[in-house]
Amino acid sequence: MSKRKSKDAHLPVGECITQLQEILRKRLCHQQLPDRPEGVEAQHKHLLELLKRTAVHGESNSVLIVGPRGAGKTMLLKCVLRDLLEETEAQTNLLQVHLNGLLQTNDRIALQEITRQLHLENVVGDKVFGSFAENLAFLLEALKKGDRSSSRPVLFVLDEFDLFAHHKNQTLLYNLLDVSQSAQAPIAVVGTTCRLDVLELLEKRVKSRFSHRQIHLLNNPTFTQYLERVQTQLSLSDDFPDNKFSRDWNASIETLCEDKSVAEVLQRHFNSSKDFRSMHMLLMLCLSRVSAAKPAIRPADLLEASKMCFADAKANMLHGLSILELCLIIAMKHLNDVYEGEPFNLQMVHNEFKKFLQRKSNSMYNFEQPVIMKAFEHLQQLEMIRPVDSSVVKTQREYRLMRLMLDHSQVMEALQKYPQCPTDVKQWAMSAFG
Amino acid sequence: TPCRATPSIPSRSRPARLPANVLEEARTRLHVSSVPESLPCREQEFQDIYSFVESKIVDGTGGCMYISGVPGTGKTATVHEVMRCLQHAADVDEIPPFHFIEINGMKMTDPHQAYVQVLQKLTGQKSTADHAAALLEKRFSNPAPRKETTVLLVDELDLLWTRKQNVMYNLFDWPTRRHARLVVLTIANTMDLPERIMINRVASRLGLTRMSFQPYSFKQLQQIIMSRLNKVKAFEEDALQLVSRKVAALSGDARRCLDICRRATEICEHSSADSHSTGLVGMSHVMEALNEMFSSAYITAIKCASVQEQLFLRAVIAEFRRLGLEEATFQQVFVQHQALCRVEGLQPASVSEGLAVCQRLGACRLLLLEPSRLGVLQRVRLNVSQDDVLYALKAD
Repeated sequence: MSKRKSKDAHLPVGECITQLQEILRKRLCHQQLPDRPEGVEAQHKHLLELLKRTAVHGESNSVLIVGPRGAGKTMLLKCVLRDLLEETEAQTNLLQVHLNGLLQTNDRIALQEITRQLHLENVVGDKVFGSFAENLAFLLEALKKGDRSSSRPVLFVLDEFDLFAHHKNQTLLYNLLDVSQSAQAPIAVVGTTCRLDVLELLEKRVKSRFSHRQIHLLNNPTFTQYLERVQTQLSLSDDFPDNKFSRDWNASIETLCEDKSVAEVLQRHFNSSKDFRSMHMLLMLCLSRVSAAKPAIRPADLLEASKMCFADAKANMLHGLSILELCLIIAMKHLNDVYEGEPFNLQMVHNEFKKFLQRKSNSMYNFEQPVIMKAFEHLQQLEMIRPVDSSVVKTQREYRLMRLMLDHSQVMEALQKYPQCPTDVKQWAMSAFG
Repeated sequence: TPCRATPSIPSRSRPARLPANVLEEARTRLHVSSVPESLPCREQEFQDIYSFVESKIVDGTGGCMYISGVPGTGKTATVHEVMRCLQHAADVDEIPPFHFIEINGMKMTDPHQAYVQVLQKLTGQKSTADHAAALLEKRFSNPAPRKETTVLLVDELDLLWTRKQNVMYNLFDWPTRRHARLVVLTIANTMDLPERIMINRVASRLGLTRMSFQPYSFKQLQQIIMSRLNKVKAFEEDALQLVSRKVAALSGDARRCLDICRRATEICEHSSADSHSTGLVGMSHVMEALNEMFSSAYITAIKCASVQEQLFLRAVIAEFRRLGLEEATFQQVFVQHQALCRVEGLQPASVSEGLAVCQRLGACRLLLLEPSRLGVLQRVRLNVSQDDVLYALKAD
């Protein structure tokens, strides 16, 4: 630990790094809200206007935010809510109910949650009283009593909207949308989903009550914007306590982004997916390599992190297999080649393996049947192979039909990297047909 | 639990703002919730239902009526209007007084809750479903002096279906009792519901008094909007006609029509701030609103997809062409994918990466996938037509 000098404005490097890690972690992992949403200004304005009209004028509305995973749907909604609540008129009036399709898995739970969040009269403490039917009647009664100009508007946010459409009869959706289309308490129903075909999931009468407003969030950044985003995500702002450190850091990030190899790596990530969440994952891996001894991200760090992201899972698993298991996999590959993807059983694999052993003078791998069976079962446990039909006890283990769950390229790649792979096994694998 | 709680949403601290300009006024009027006093274009249906219910009330007998029609054609609104008019007539002593109650199949958790709700609306009593059924049975089969006619509206009738159909049976059987004085109006979407799902003794009790609401034609839709606007001049004539023609061609759903008009006023408001406009909603605004609400996002989604995702879609189509089928395993598609990568001069993707790309496309339903634990053996199908994919990938 370096001693802190009281008159020096500069913090010690260790301190700076700790602060830097804290700030950037918050940004990358905790999905910190940006000051202004980027690239979605039109959608932001549309949603803000809509919710404002509900909060201020008491107009009932319904809207769906649709976009692929990691496109910033929740971020947009949170930004809009933050901006909306800055107005005192909205702040004092708006009631919010947040539901999530993954938590509220049926209407009964969802209804209890709504009642609880609205603090209706049948709630005492955190407990909701009454049966499911009573709760529904109670909630509908409460909403019916309200009217446009006098009762407080309620905002319903339904995360994972498509899961609500799988509830029985879609009762909850029907009732919420029905209230939004009739002269009762003003409500706004906002759903977020990643399914583009979400309207086809709705029943006809539910669909008719939905206002068909959809906000599509399809982020389509160019590569330059993507690079800029990387830079802004990593850069420190002016209010960092140590100015010199933040200047150095920002300069180092700038040089990093101008590096050729870095741009290449980022281009590959960009080609694979445009969403920012996978980029954050990559940056997080880079950031974890920054320490007091190495206070900057180097291109090599990014290359390492990228290699980690793109590693093939099954090929990695193949590295950990024994020679016998590898031989069985090669035999399966040959069977697949000869019989064009027909399923096989243990006997066929064993025969294929025996053929290989006969051609060789020394029979170093001449194992007993039970050993082979054990290896075969281990492969099944790793889900490298998979039974064709899932019936468990009908046939004996030796004669159950299996399929190989690997691509040939994976087998070949694993063989190349296998530590100390015997040459004859390698040659056998390379040979075209057994 | 408090047994007689008065449920309510807390009231707001200051009243809602009133509409300030013409467009806002129009928007308020166009909201689906602001139902006008008299529904245009449903005069015939109104008359039929009115005379049916009126005759039953005057005679002191009972009966059933089945009303069908696609959503958004004004079924429930018409019945409510009939009831309002009859109530008014009863108030001025033209007809004997009656009792109107309403239940909705979608607003109950279970078909048997219908008994509970009917009983509660008739007498204010709370009870279990079985007990309520017994009480109602007694009430409708025994004579009582000075009994009023009850009009029961059953909305979303198909939800009251149970395996033994006893809820429906009771609802249709009570009106046939001598002392019941019950008129049941039932509403559902499909015309052939009685023949399709009801057993004979239930369908026969429902009887043959049927009425079906046709989808609105474009002229009717136009008239509906005009009557809603009621001299508030916010739309150009052509714009209104375009909306009504489009909606009439697709579904004839009045809700859709009103929603589009409302969205058009918003678009108009946004554009009037920066350009020279007349302040009226014109063709361009309506076109934009129509596009927003009717267009599917598949093509834009494909255009916005990353390079690998687009390549994967192309590989899927290439594999389909090779096989002559509309389905392929991931393994087969992946071979094509790698070939395409080499053609495009990209680094070939690993299997894990390919699977991730495939899953992403599956999550937003551009592809239909089997469960992902099947790994490379999972089968892939397209959820969009091949032409759409090719169009989206070509049009750059």
